[in-house]
Amino acid sequence: MSASKLKSAMIVGILALLVGCGSSEKDRPIGAVVAISVPLGLPPVPIPADNVPTAETIALGRKLFYDVRLSNDNTQSCASCHDSKLGFSDGRRLSIGVHGLAGVRNAPTLLNAAYLPLQFWDGRAASLEMQTALPIQDHREMDVSPARLLFRLNTDATYRAMCEKAFGSRLLDMVEVEKSISAFERTLLSGDSPFDRFYFGGDKSALTAAQIRGLLIFQDPGRGNCAVCHSIRKNDALFTDGKFHNLGIGVGDDESLTDNGRFGQTGTASDTGTFLTPTLRNVALTAPYMHDGSEKTLEAVMDYYAGHGNSNPYLDPEMTKIHLSAQDKSDLVEFMKGLTGAMPQQAGPPTKE
Amino acid sequence: MKKTFPLLSILLIMAGCSHSSAPGGASASSVAVPNYFHVDAATAGTISGSVHFSGQRPAKKTIEMSNDPACVNANQGAVYDDSMIIDDHNGLADAFVYVKSGLEGKTFAPAAAPVTIDQHGCWFHPRVIGVQVGQELDVVNSDPVTHNIHPMAQVNHEWNHSQGPGDPPMKRRFTKQEIMIPVKCNIHNWMHAHIGVVDHPYFAVSASDGSFTIPNLPPGTYTLEVWHDHLPTQEQQVTVPAHGNAKINFNFKAK
Repeated sequence: MSASKLKSAMIVGILALLVGCGSSEKDRPIGAVVAISVPLGLPPVPIPADNVPTAETIALGRKLFYDVRLSNDNTQSCASCHDSKLGFSDGRRLSIGVHGLAGVRNAPTLLNAAYLPLQFWDGRAASLEMQTALPIQDHREMDVSPARLLFRLNTDATYRAMCEKAFGSRLLDMVEVEKSISAFERTLLSGDSPFDRFYFGGDKSALTAAQIRGLLIFQDPGRGNCAVCHSIRKNDALFTDGKFHNLGIGVGDDESLTDNGRFGQTGTASDTGTFLTPTLRNVALTAPYMHDGSEKTLEAVMDYYAGHGNSNPYLDPEMTKIHLSAQDKSDLVEFMKGLTGAMPQQAGPPTKE
Repeated sequence: MKKTFPLLSILLIMAGCSHSSAPGGASASSVAVPNYFHVDAATAGTISGSVHFSGQRPAKKTIEMSNDPACVNANQGAVYDDSMIIDDHNGLADAFVYVKSGLEGKTFAPAAAPVTIDQHGCWFHPRVIGVQVGQELDVVNSDPVTHNIHPMAQVNHEWNHSQGPGDPPMKRRFTKQEIMIPVKCNIHNWMHAHIGVVDHPYFAVSASDGSFTIPNLPPGTYTLEVWHDHLPTQEQQVTVPAHGNAKINFNFKAK
């Protein structure tokens, strides 16, 4: 290689470095656009203009999602904490990341995460694309640097070929990794539960008598008061308001909180100890519960609410409006079992090609 | 162009984004130690006595626990309200006796040992408990069910806290005298207790025979008050001689 050729190659390389973080024409999907079909009970999926899902980006994202090379020590894939067999959660109180390190919060389900306006328990990512980038680099989660990750992926001919098809570029960059995984995650929709067939589908036999009682308690502001945050709308239900609330989880002896939640992002006092309302869809599959995984069962969660949680200066006032009898708690648990939906197709590990 | 591929790829491979998040901080504070009163053991005396209830005893009230089967299982057979316990000799249990006046101007160090309230068998044990201002109160749940203890304080800070089966004890303190703080469980509506918070160590809860003892008092004249959940309070004056014992009895009569 001549000196001038080397120089021009370096300039091109440096330019490539500079565009690595931003979205640009070269990171746009080029394949056939896929219309994501939405199950009963869910609204249309929000799609960002610069990452319209294509068959190719979804396939690439699915492969990346299940690839342990996304972690420093090749032990963790996205699926390690978001296991399709466990409702895209991990069944642990706190997740285990690279080098056996424990995380600090409970892994939320990825099912229907595409609808959330903000991602993570503290809402620190405003899109799936932004969300995807963080666990990959988090020292307690996957802990892999972009340079190392891209080296691993771009030295694999399969990824290079998939990247070419998905984005028309020869090598993956981080934006393309994030976009592809997000495109796959937008297909992880779950609806058409017994509740959906009852409430939106008009099938009055879809829920049991106990579940129907539970639904009424769920919506009654003077009993369960659940729907005040776990929203049910006229034509669809996400079972979350997408907002942040303090339930008193993690209150210590002096009423301080072990985790300040949303406050860490906004610095606003009223956000202290508030966390994103999780969806209740598939909640029966995603024990344990709460941001710290401190409640082992749905029954324990009902007891926690029935007792009005733990007092602290920022407790959501809606907590104290709850009044539940033992029968009510049992009916609510039955109702929540009726929120287990159909699982998305082609969401498991891709078969070897 | 082929030859430039490895170099380009290495440069490209190194392209990436960085993200960071900031954890919360912590703060510390220090408190000056007040000038505590020292009791002279050579002259300290004791008040002892008893609390009695005579006349028609209130009818036993049954407690309905069917709302929580685990609580039914923890109590064999019928369960009765335990807020008025009188023994065969009219001794009244769970009366709270404390020095209401006579200690003005003296500040006492909070007792070092914690007092414990246990949620056991879907009851609070003890049902009536005294604690000094600043003394540690340990709240224990030894039941296989979740409780939510709720001291409905008016002078002190009101709080409630959930404790599931096997959860560790909770440690709390009260900062001001308050006689009495009613305590309930937010989950089991029959569970009640009372906490007397006193700004000195001279208080006692009557035993099952109605007896009580308040030791280690500086000699002097004091007003004692007795409180019981279902009865009007009574007061009596008593003089404690140096290194001596003073006796005092409280008698309640049914209306």
